[in-house]
Amino acid sequence: MTYKTDEIWEDKWVNTTCGVCYCGCGAKVRVVNGVPVKIEGIKESTMGGTGAGLCGKGAAGLMYYHDPNRIKKPLLRTNPEKGIGVDPKWKEIEWDEALDIISTKMKKIMEDDPNKILFTNQTMRASDGPHNHPYFYAQAYGVKNNGNFIIGGGSLHCGNACHMLGGLIHGAWSIAPDWRYTKYVLKWGSSKGTGSGHSAMTNARLRADAIRRGIKEIVFDPMGNFAGGKATEWLAILPGTDTAVGLAIANYIVNIRKEMDELYLKAKTNFVYLIKDDGTYLRHEKSDKPMVYDTRDGKVKEYDDTSAAWEDLALDGEYEYNGEKVRPCFVPFKEHLKQFTVEWAADISTVPAAKILEVAKGWVDNAQIGSTITIEGKTFPYRPVSSVTFRGSQGHTNGIHQVAAIDLMSQLVGAEDVPGGTLGWPAIRRAYPGGHYEQTCSVGTDGVIVPSVFYSHDPWPVHAPSYPATNMGCVDVWTHCTLSHIPYVEEVDYIHEKLGMKSKPEMIFGISANFVISNSDWDTAVKNFKDCFVVQMDLWVNETDQAIGDLILPDVSYLEKDCWSSEIDAFFFSGSPSYEDWYVHLQKPVAKPIGESRFFMDVYIDVANRVGVLDKFNAKLNDYYGIEDPELQIKPGEVLDWKQIGERVLKWVYGPDKEKIEEQGYATWHKPIEDVYWRWEIDSRCPVYMEYLIHDRRALEKIFEETDFDYKKLEMDMDQYTPLPSWFWPESHKDLDNEFDLLAFSYRDILHTNNTTFQNPYVDEVSQMCPYTFTITLNTTMAKEKGFKDGDIIWIENKYGVKEKGIVKTMEAQSPKVIGIAGQGGLWADGRPIAKGKGANFCKLLPSKLKYFDPVAGNMETAVAVKIYKA
Amino acid sequence: MPRWGMVIDVKRCIACWGCTIACKEEHFLPPGVFFNRVLIGESGKFPTSSKLIYPILCNHCSDAACVEACPTGATYVREDGIVAIDDEKCVGCRACMVSCPYQQRTYYDEKVKEREYFPGQGKTEMEIIGEKLYPFKLGTVVKCNFCTERLEDGMKKGLTPGKDEDATPACVNICPVNARVFGDLDDPNSEINRMIMEKKGKQLRKEFGTEPAVYYID
Amino acid sequence: MNDKHQDLVETMFPSDGSGIKPYEWMISPTRQRQWIDDKGIFLWLAFFFSEIGAGLYFMSLFYSFRPGIVLGWLITLVLGGLIHMLYLGNPKRAWRMIMKPNTSELSRGIWIIGVFAVLGFLQIITPGGFNMVFNFIMGVLCLLIISHGFATMNVIRALPAWNSTIVLPLSIISGIWVGHQLLQFMFALSDKAAVASGMEVWAATFFLIYFLCILLYAWGTWHSSEAAKASIRKMLEGDLKRITYIGVGVLAILVPLVFTLIMWGGNTNGFLIFLRLASVCAGDLAIRYLIMKSAVYNPLI
Repeated sequence: MTYKTDEIWEDKWVNTTCGVCYCGCGAKVRVVNGVPVKIEGIKESTMGGTGAGLCGKGAAGLMYYHDPNRIKKPLLRTNPEKGIGVDPKWKEIEWDEALDIISTKMKKIMEDDPNKILFTNQTMRASDGPHNHPYFYAQAYGVKNNGNFIIGGGSLHCGNACHMLGGLIHGAWSIAPDWRYTKYVLKWGSSKGTGSGHSAMTNARLRADAIRRGIKEIVFDPMGNFAGGKATEWLAILPGTDTAVGLAIANYIVNIRKEMDELYLKAKTNFVYLIKDDGTYLRHEKSDKPMVYDTRDGKVKEYDDTSAAWEDLALDGEYEYNGEKVRPCFVPFKEHLKQFTVEWAADISTVPAAKILEVAKGWVDNAQIGSTITIEGKTFPYRPVSSVTFRGSQGHTNGIHQVAAIDLMSQLVGAEDVPGGTLGWPAIRRAYPGGHYEQTCSVGTDGVIVPSVFYSHDPWPVHAPSYPATNMGCVDVWTHCTLSHIPYVEEVDYIHEKLGMKSKPEMIFGISANFVISNSDWDTAVKNFKDCFVVQMDLWVNETDQAIGDLILPDVSYLEKDCWSSEIDAFFFSGSPSYEDWYVHLQKPVAKPIGESRFFMDVYIDVANRVGVLDKFNAKLNDYYGIEDPELQIKPGEVLDWKQIGERVLKWVYGPDKEKIEEQGYATWHKPIEDVYWRWEIDSRCPVYMEYLIHDRRALEKIFEETDFDYKKLEMDMDQYTPLPSWFWPESHKDLDNEFDLLAFSYRDILHTNNTTFQNPYVDEVSQMCPYTFTITLNTTMAKEKGFKDGDIIWIENKYGVKEKGIVKTMEAQSPKVIGIAGQGGLWADGRPIAKGKGANFCKLLPSKLKYFDPVAGNMETAVAVKIYKA
Repeated sequence: MPRWGMVIDVKRCIACWGCTIACKEEHFLPPGVFFNRVLIGESGKFPTSSKLIYPILCNHCSDAACVEACPTGATYVREDGIVAIDDEKCVGCRACMVSCPYQQRTYYDEKVKEREYFPGQGKTEMEIIGEKLYPFKLGTVVKCNFCTERLEDGMKKGLTPGKDEDATPACVNICPVNARVFGDLDDPNSEINRMIMEKKGKQLRKEFGTEPAVYYID
Repeated sequence: MNDKHQDLVETMFPSDGSGIKPYEWMISPTRQRQWIDDKGIFLWLAFFFSEIGAGLYFMSLFYSFRPGIVLGWLITLVLGGLIHMLYLGNPKRAWRMIMKPNTSELSRGIWIIGVFAVLGFLQIITPGGFNMVFNFIMGVLCLLIISHGFATMNVIRALPAWNSTIVLPLSIISGIWVGHQLLQFMFALSDKAAVASGMEVWAATFFLIYFLCILLYAWGTWHSSEAAKASIRKMLEGDLKRITYIGVGVLAILVPLVFTLIMWGGNTNGFLIFLRLASVCAGDLAIRYLIMKSAVYNPLI
């Protein structure tokens, strides 16, 4: 076996960015005679695994290029009838005709109301590219804020509550343990460091070193698989009950153990803010700032009054101000926690009380409250405990309280953005030396951090709910949604009618999204979107395209894409959260585009130009990157493609090093340590007491009353609008009865990104060697009792008669009350033959009534009461 | 002369299958052929059961059962410890395959050669070029060779296997969590020997007495 | 929507006798496939033919019966040898298999067969070839060939069900028993019915030993190790159990037993001998099939 070299005229490696999931690891591709044949990581970069490490699906990304099923020309539906199981009768058309159809349609809609056009972004990097641009692309059309976005790849299973609180607490999109210095990690329905979450391989690398160092990692999860299977200890928990355990631990810290980081609570949280009887802040008459009580002076002061030292601010007591009784909000908070005993939490969560207590003790013991650490000559508070969550635990109707409770224990010991604690992805991005584009978070009203860049809208300051609603997502009313749930809700027509939403969508301009099958009930999704003219840029004809697509445009995969911008603006979720230098990768084309496929940014530009909004889009680009150099600004009337725009932006962002960076495929520069451990560097406070929810509730109730919106009939639980993290049963649990006696939940398999990877033959092949990836998991004992064995084909049916077929695989490491389904299988699109028939689809089992969505953040209830029986 | 070996840190491994897939790309392996795999199992009972993850590959045993069973001498242990196959000598009797307690060998025949990654849709450019770049002989047995080509080419350039990417097996390079370390078992000061000593490295199924060169630590 | 579930079930959860669940590969006891599945079936036939050929040759020596050694020689070399060649990936290179007699049982087997071919040919063509020395050498060679198939399997430590010492006696007695039956049938066909009748006492003896060896094999293997036990279990459960009960229980044991009782005391007849021979051959094939098919590797984790 030797390499035959005589026929090889080219054998090179090209640096680019992996595009198989949203993490954006550095990747290099071996190209032989123009054919991509191998993918590895980039050794020099911290974006990704150790050395040239890359995960399996990243390595398998080659197949996106080689897949003969890729669409090569625009496809137009000729069958006017739409729906699942209906042949669209595609006709190949020319690009010019396709773009003409789109722009004509758009112009016509825009004469009426641009909010009738919906856009999708997606988190599937096989095509994904610039991240934030679809949002301001939509704005160029006159679309208002984020309500016109229907979510793509990650779907609403993604982190509305996580992102909301990530933004409010850390100024970040997502959180991770500080693997380098932590000693004790609690993971709640999250697989950070074990294959999923943002910067997955960066975290995996850091976690592996930490585990080798001997840290303790405790995972609360319904199954002991990717996260739990690798944990120091896995604790089986029922989906959606993490709040109970979190609050019990908080109660232990505050009321039993009574060991807290008081200075942190006084300096870095809003616990010292004085509240009135109705729970709202006491505010200064003129400045409107929240007030605190200075125990040294015995005076009530504005929270940022520099005459009050942090340690002197009151956490306890009751005071009077202008004849009104006020007290620090920590007082009711502390009282409130007393009800949450470990026994109570054990009953709800099925985690044994003794274990909860053990974890709570371990948490305080390891927190080392009061200790400091000196790194590179700088001294920081040292709190080597971290509690993190992500998609799993927050994906419930009580999502916001789940995340708040999980965050709470870190707050109480001051383990936020300090060495060893919980870190947000970088909130601060310093400019490249000699270049521009510096993004730093600011401090907003009430001392709350405002992220420098955030998807769709900033979590702070909270917009007051208002009506009439101006877009399909009604984010005027549901103001906390990162991406709105309303487009998927069964009662959408009623909601729109009552809230005065007049912009009934007529068109969708999407990027590789598969929202018909990847969110919730398929039929509702088809019903809600089929009347739109659906244009998608896609690699294959996926299920959504086949069911409701009208015009499908061939997109390039990441291997053919020239995307200079992929990571520049993604720093707040796609970089190393740790104290490691910045690495920002470009996406460089490795091979020529397949067929007539085109990069969606160029299609965006082409369409905008035809519609007449290109100047507006270009102006937004100038603004987004803050381009001040007139030579580099895109001028009105200029028509540049994405590459040409990149020439200018890169010069602005990287200055004289532009060519060097383009050549090597990435930029790297130093990340100052205080930008990582910034908590005590920036004078801000965490809104742990969620006072804003009181105001939201009042405003919403007023709107609902005025519009005659019967939220009670829709079972929207307004009680969740409470400032205190509290326990609410997730909707799925309420549906449990003797017949529907199991909770189905889904989880992320390390091999898969949503459903695109199901079409990858490398991934498909190894998935078939995995016991759980393509199967439905049942606890071994439970399966035996119910008479199921490995290989049985079963139906899983929800209360609404929706059912899905799957193959049983038993496992010990799973709670006996749940069934687990990995990812988004159960695919049927003819355009993806490898994916077809693999796995089971979990999403369709999720009912799409309003009551199954978190009333605050819009998370979907991602557990569902089901019964199972043999097919 | 070194004796090449590997240490796999099971504690670090997260079962991402990077090794399996990178290996397929490195050697242009057709569907169904694996020189690297990940075994995923379970032990114990709920709620204290645990997940077992073991990446496996050819153990390059110094007392290899396959070498003993081979009637032609096609399979042999090289001076550097790598168990190699001379595909000019292999008759395809598969005694080696049956003998290997680790089941790390694959018979390459017409049926395997004809397989397509996209069944019924023809071979991709990658598969076609792979057959030229890395040809296997029909009717012979194939297996992991510790990326002999990488090692030899790398060392010719003065690189050190286990340290320099270009002289190190592909599965070691791809591992995102540094769960694989490659090195010289005969060098008492090598990193792998240190790890084997410190973490009490174990060989899989030692009782077969084949003296594997792959060690596991956890 | 998903009519492909069944396909996936067949890939991932094949029924136990026919395949291996891919996710259980080397995690639970994993079946040996190379030497029985697909083209591997040739090896099963090759071992069978070389064994019965050598068995016939061996028995014929006692009766100085030239047609017997001719046929035995032909069966061993032509059927056994050729079928074995068909199994090889590169039959043209088969000569290379003589290279490693020091370690490879397969290589040793090739040597033995080579010597057997040459000496056997000489014995056949030599008038008066049935002399003591020739017979002794050929007898030893025959026994080695009879046991060659099982010996090749026996040295494989990785498969505990083959690696038990009880495999060898079973293989030798089965070769002798089937060879004896062939010879008896040849005599019955020719005009030497009396010889056939006289052989019946040996038939009963060989059958009894054969039966005991089967029991001994099953018992000994069951008790030798976990993986070996799993092999026996595989024979008794799942897809293989029909072959076990019909092939071994009925064809290898029950039918020959009945016929042996009928022909007790030399009361033989050609037709019954033929029926018993057919049953014995089928039974022996079944036993060989089961042993090859059910051998499992120890899980690695």
